[in-house]
Amino acid sequence: MTDEAVSSIGALEIDDISKRYGAVVALDGMTLEVTAGEVFGFVGRNGAGKTTTMRIVLGVLGADGGEVRFAGRPLTFEARRRIGYMPEERGLYPKMRLAEQLTYLAELHGMSPAAAMAGARTWLERFGLIDRANDDVQSLSMGNQQRIQLAAALVFDPIMLVLDEPFASLDPVAVDVMSAVLREQADAGLPVIFSSHELELVERICDRLAIVDRGKVVAQGTIAELRMGAAERRLVDVPNAAVGWGEEIPGTTLISREGSEMLFEIEPGTDDQALLRAALATGAVREFHRVEPSLGDIFRSVLQEGAS
Amino acid sequence: MSDNTGGRPTTFLVARREVRMRMRSRVFVGGTIVMTVGVVVGIVVASLLAGRSTPVRVGFSDGSQALERSFSATAAAIGASVTVSDIADDNAGQAQLTAGTLDVLVTGSATAPTAVVKTAISPSVESALSLAAEATRLSDAGLTPAAVASAMALVPVQPLQPPNPKDTENILASLALGIVLWIALGQYGNMVAQSVVEEKATRIMEILLATIRPSRLLAGKVIGIGLVGLLQLTIVGAAALIAVQVTNVAAIPALGVASILADVVWFVLGFLFYATAYAAVASLVSRQEEVQSAVAPISIFQIAGYLLMYAALPNPTGPLATVVSVLPPFAPIVMAVRMASSDVPFWQVGLAIGLTVASIVGLTWLAGRMYTNAALHLGARVRFMDAFRG
Repeated sequence: MTDEAVSSIGALEIDDISKRYGAVVALDGMTLEVTAGEVFGFVGRNGAGKTTTMRIVLGVLGADGGEVRFAGRPLTFEARRRIGYMPEERGLYPKMRLAEQLTYLAELHGMSPAAAMAGARTWLERFGLIDRANDDVQSLSMGNQQRIQLAAALVFDPIMLVLDEPFASLDPVAVDVMSAVLREQADAGLPVIFSSHELELVERICDRLAIVDRGKVVAQGTIAELRMGAAERRLVDVPNAAVGWGEEIPGTTLISREGSEMLFEIEPGTDDQALLRAALATGAVREFHRVEPSLGDIFRSVLQEGAS
Repeated sequence: MSDNTGGRPTTFLVARREVRMRMRSRVFVGGTIVMTVGVVVGIVVASLLAGRSTPVRVGFSDGSQALERSFSATAAAIGASVTVSDIADDNAGQAQLTAGTLDVLVTGSATAPTAVVKTAISPSVESALSLAAEATRLSDAGLTPAAVASAMALVPVQPLQPPNPKDTENILASLALGIVLWIALGQYGNMVAQSVVEEKATRIMEILLATIRPSRLLAGKVIGIGLVGLLQLTIVGAAALIAVQVTNVAAIPALGVASILADVVWFVLGFLFYATAYAAVASLVSRQEEVQSAVAPISIFQIAGYLLMYAALPNPTGPLATVVSVLPPFAPIVMAVRMASSDVPFWQVGLAIGLTVASIVGLTWLAGRMYTNAALHLGARVRFMDAFRG
């Protein structure tokens, strides 16, 4: 029996996936694409549908509708076996030796025994655990167990990485290792998708990202693209302004106030010079400049729009 | 549909892992040693208790000593095991009886002896003594030795049927086999249940299910643990057979090659039946502490099989034994015991195997379905119908 060769380069397309658990709608037309060679971030509140989406990609859950494609073709069982997956619930055999465990998982994913052993060795060396190859997983520190968990997703030369909260409870050094590995794998041509609540990290690492809410994508693109969609912000420092100033300037919304520094959001189509004139009318203006919204700001404003 | 790209079949990989991990565990090594030693010691003790029927010590005083040769010969002829000795006088003989160094003291003359005993005499010794005295009286009455022999000839016994080799010793041996089978099925079935829950409890299940079909994971697990069980049983069984041969405690027909093969077949079928059932119910829970309560419904069938084995054994061809031994949950134990203790009609064995195999197929389907639906539900126990419907 010859398998259709699993192309090792391709994009992941998640097309209009829906899933219900009884009366609860978990996914409602989830659609996104992760191209080969990009690191894609998946953000959203708990229960937004991130884990469900990933489980459907891996085939551990069935979708009620829609299709998952890889390299333009529906994702087969054969292709799924070659996805590097890190589930939200981490898990390894605690009483199995490191090398043996990685070799076993590599073989389960379809590698020949020799290639599996070589893969296990490579990743143990990479993570500095080759000296402990014959120790049980349970004897490792938490940080090292997390390294093995990552190695388990990489040991069989995956065609794609799907990582559910890979940065959760990592120490700063492990975060750097994880970031480097994700980038390196994307550079090797893999689509890499991961979910995270740590928005600063997502902002730093991702090429593109999707914000999901209630089972569908509510915004996606590069950070720059998402920023363009967000309202512009201006910081104004007006030491002489009377109390209550700034709350009723047409076309703007006062977001925050710290001492004499106020942060405004400018509604689309509004001239920011009107705000400056209003500021000057109070007397001295120490500062007036553009502020880039953080991913956190974008995230909150997108979800607010969705809610209203 | 191929399940491997250059690698080995996943079922094989799972089974091999189970075998390796178990054989390395202290539970397996220690358990095998303890079981082997226990079985061998049990057989040796049994042989010491039952095997040695000590000969009856018979002492002859004064005039009765003329009976000694005739008594020994008669005792041998009727199968009584005796030793014979001369006693100086009646007082010395009674002293020996009281001290327990003598069982029977024969006094008086050769034609009218008296047997003195502490409390009772074994019937065969009494018969041998009576026959010996009678032969002496006939001889004294003038009969030639040939005439005496002819007069005293024992009645020949002609059995219409050859003696059944599957007799009492066999029933004990087959009962022992049944108990071993029952313990083995419970032990290895529980091992499968523990192994299923271990993968849920350690959360590795999700990684596994992303790469292997649930039915193959289940099959690999059952096959791997089954092989380990078979190996352990073989080691313990071989030790038991050697011990039996050496001590000569039981006739071997019950432990013959055909019987052993039948037991292996029933172990394999019983294990597949119970292990699959155990795996299915174990997939409903997520913690080791919950395993016992989850498998309880299956254990009930198993315990019922054990009790029915005792009910069926006294009458292995009766209606109860016949019906129960073809029903799948009980067949692996009850039919195995019946086959060891009596000749079972071929069609009944065939029916029992057929029904058991059919129910294993059905259980595998059911277990695969439950496993798929329940495997990723961590935390609360999954209800049976939810797992079934998916």
